[in-house]
Amino acid sequence: MDTYAGKIRLVIKNAPYIYRDYSHLAAEASLAAKDQGKYWEMHDLLLQRSPVLDRDSLIKYARELALDMKKFTASLDEKKHAQEIEQDKKLALDMDLYNTPTFFINGRRVVGERPFEYFKKIIDEELSAKR
Amino acid sequence: MKKLILIMIVVFISVSAFADEKRFAVPVGDSPSTGPMNAPVTIIEFLDFQ
Repeated sequence: MDTYAGKIRLVIKNAPYIYRDYSHLAAEASLAAKDQGKYWEMHDLLLQRSPVLDRDSLIKYARELALDMKKFTASLDEKKHAQEIEQDKKLALDMDLYNTPTFFINGRRVVGERPFEYFKKIIDEELSAKR
Repeated sequence: MKKLILIMIVVFISVSAFADEKRFAVPVGDSPSTGPMNAPVTIIEFLDFQ
């Protein structure tokens, strides 16, 4: 991302896998952090600490990021962002998307983890097409 | 016959090479995002933290 500062917009959609215990809760935690202006900090932390994403751990991570714990815990327990997450899940389903991560680079689909070089090639193609 | 098989293989390879050139329209909505709104490249990632 840093290589392309100012040239890329990255958007995250939640596609929590239904049969994993904490996928959904972790997505809730990320959006609760977003409400407090710390989405990306939480996003990075969750990916770093995954798969340890049970409720107590999520609360611990929020504390590490110095979030307002009362608001965070309430948001998590009330599943405040359930509707938003369901919307993303429906979108994924409508697009026949069953693997994560899946990327769309200016609409071009990339399924699964790939080396940086793979993304770089597509991004460079997109950038030169726009020039 | 061999020639036909060869042609079929070539056609298959070229079709699969272009298969992912289809562009999908993904609505951004209020999803978390970083980077300028008018960036020339938009990457939309569907992820599962677990």
